[in-house]
Amino acid sequence: MTRPEIQQLQDQQAYLTAAVRALLEGQWCGGPPSGQAFVGALDPNLTIDCREPILESETPPEINYPDPNESMPGQLYSWTCSACACDWLMRAYGKGFNPADIYNSREQTVYAIGYPNNINSSYGLMDGSGSQLQRVLGDVGIQTAQAWLTFDQVYAIAAQGRAGCMSGGAWYHWCGIRGVDGDTIWIANSAPGYMSVWNNLNRTDFNRLGPFSCVIVTEA
Amino acid sequence: MDEQEQAQITQLQQQQMMLTQALKAALEGRWVGGADTVEGWLLAIDPGLTGELSPDPPSYS
Repeated sequence: MTRPEIQQLQDQQAYLTAAVRALLEGQWCGGPPSGQAFVGALDPNLTIDCREPILESETPPEINYPDPNESMPGQLYSWTCSACACDWLMRAYGKGFNPADIYNSREQTVYAIGYPNNINSSYGLMDGSGSQLQRVLGDVGIQTAQAWLTFDQVYAIAAQGRAGCMSGGAWYHWCGIRGVDGDTIWIANSAPGYMSVWNNLNRTDFNRLGPFSCVIVTEA
Repeated sequence: MDEQEQAQITQLQQQQMMLTQALKAALEGRWVGGADTVEGWLLAIDPGLTGELSPDPPSYS
């Protein structure tokens, strides 16, 4: 037989334990089983101005920023610009096939894209939207989204430190997106000087060489 | 006070001590991953919770 006073203390202890468990499990406010509800059960006269914290499950994943200064040597073959851009993007995230040998890394990228069905010396990249590049990037853990973007849209994305690669329809050339430089988009260009574009793409060139299919990294 | 009541009060005192430590750990941001954490003290209070907890602590980043 337990005395009523002791029984009451045991019940209160159980409520306290339940309240602490609720907080640990991220259930802070509202009805049971929340911390607010159990504390309210301990003392119904309490007025609780409950405020929810941001929980670990609610925090967005950290953005893994690429190295915008990753090198981009000139391409050896005229049809490999897409592979060079894709390979550059993987290396910028530390996920290149062979970081010690860029040309070997590019060769592996060509085969990963799918030589000769998806990329070849006659046409370059067969699907100009970049779907095969997205697949290769996804296979190494770089998730991307594709869209046909304006200069202002690409500039805004690049200014946030998000990388990607893009191809201009009239340019017929793929490059990497390093960031921004003044009022231009700072690019990783494997064919510097081709159609008068080196390391920067300004608004005039963008409009002259577009439309641009852009493959932008969303998670890496 | 008989022996049973004394044992009950002793147990309540121990539980109160552990709850106090759990609340201290919460205030100091230690929720999971050790003995001196909210999770650790809860399991000490009620070992039956082992494997039953689904922690989702506040984010401090």
